[in-house]
Amino acid sequence: MNEASDIWTNARDVVAAILLFTGLAFTLIGSIGVIRFPDFYTRLHAAGVTDTGGALLILFGLAALAGWSFAALKLLLIGLLLMVTTPVATHLLAQAAHAGGREPLIGRSPVKPKRPKKSGPAAP
Amino acid sequence: MTSFDPSLAISAALLVLMIAAALAVVRTTNLFAVAILSAVYSLLCAVWFVVMDAIDVAFTEAAVGAGISTVLYLGALVHTGDRARRLGFMRLLGGAAAALLFGLAFILLVPFTPVFGDPQSPANTQVGLEYVHSTPVDIAVPNVVTAVLASYRGLDTFGEAAVIFTAGIAVVAILPRHRRRKKDAEDAA
Amino acid sequence: MLLGLAFGLMLGMALLFVRLARGPTIYDRALAANSLSTKVVLLIAVVSFVQQRPQWLDVALVYALIGFVSVIAVVKFLRYRAMHAPMTRPPGGAHAEIVDLESGQ
Repeated sequence: MNEASDIWTNARDVVAAILLFTGLAFTLIGSIGVIRFPDFYTRLHAAGVTDTGGALLILFGLAALAGWSFAALKLLLIGLLLMVTTPVATHLLAQAAHAGGREPLIGRSPVKPKRPKKSGPAAP
Repeated sequence: MTSFDPSLAISAALLVLMIAAALAVVRTTNLFAVAILSAVYSLLCAVWFVVMDAIDVAFTEAAVGAGISTVLYLGALVHTGDRARRLGFMRLLGGAAAALLFGLAFILLVPFTPVFGDPQSPANTQVGLEYVHSTPVDIAVPNVVTAVLASYRGLDTFGEAAVIFTAGIAVVAILPRHRRRKKDAEDAA
Repeated sequence: MLLGLAFGLMLGMALLFVRLARGPTIYDRALAANSLSTKVVLLIAVVSFVQQRPQWLDVALVYALIGFVSVIAVVKFLRYRAMHAPMTRPPGGAHAEIVDLESGQ
């Protein structure tokens, strides 16, 4: 009984460590991408994907570390909330940038942001 | 070599980030960016409060600093421009002198305050000690401040919350509601 | 391990801060602030494990909610420069007003 519980504890720690380090790697790679990528949409891609994935991995890792407890339930709740809100925020930002007339950088040459055809008088 | 204190290390790192945020606020002329930067500053400040185990202050800082005041700044930016003029050298010098003076005054006052967690300080010897002793018996809440706020003077806190809620309702009622134009309604239909 | 995780998260926050302070457009700044608020939630969760304080998770939960509300306010400002405009279509065309917001620096 005691040995079995030890095995479970160790396995849980290993799983937690793997989840936490994967999540941290995601988060750091996303942060580097936010600095390095050339235009807003690519940066949004880097930040949005890693924010959802990395955050969920870290929260699940912490939940695994906590075991079956109220803290794990709260962590899962936070994870659920982030899983809903982060993609929505990313989508809203992309929508705002698109409505604001920013064009994605396509190809290799930096394209100047063009005005959408339907717009009223062009801003200076 | 004293033992490594994780909370101190995290606090130091957070303070470095906060100083960077404050310097960025000073340097930026785009007021929208300033609004976002100050929100980030108070978010970092709130995390620092959490690390120092002052959860109630952290809640307030996050709600007021990062939430409401950002919304208010943005609402003000709607009615004004979003560009700041660069200040002249003399005014910068005056601001820096005032900041340094206040900083110096606070630093000079520090030796007169009791040491953090000093059992002989007035806060820990008078009525505060009673609460510390009776909280685990009366209410099973680990944080004494939370117990005082939510239970010992719970009615008071409830009244404050009701006042704030009423104020919020009043603000919502006073604010002009945007009327949909006929064209928009047709477009939406 | 957890302390290293906390410092890793703060390194990520510092990297995002570079984009926040520099960001050529306001959209970049809003994006960095949003990502930073997510990392703040994670940092509080991790620090609560470092310090053995499970009640701090409530704070993390509240911060997740506040961060989302702030992002919505910022995005609404970005799109319409007005806090009480409908989300469907602003009067007079969405594009003309917002373009001059982009800082050229």
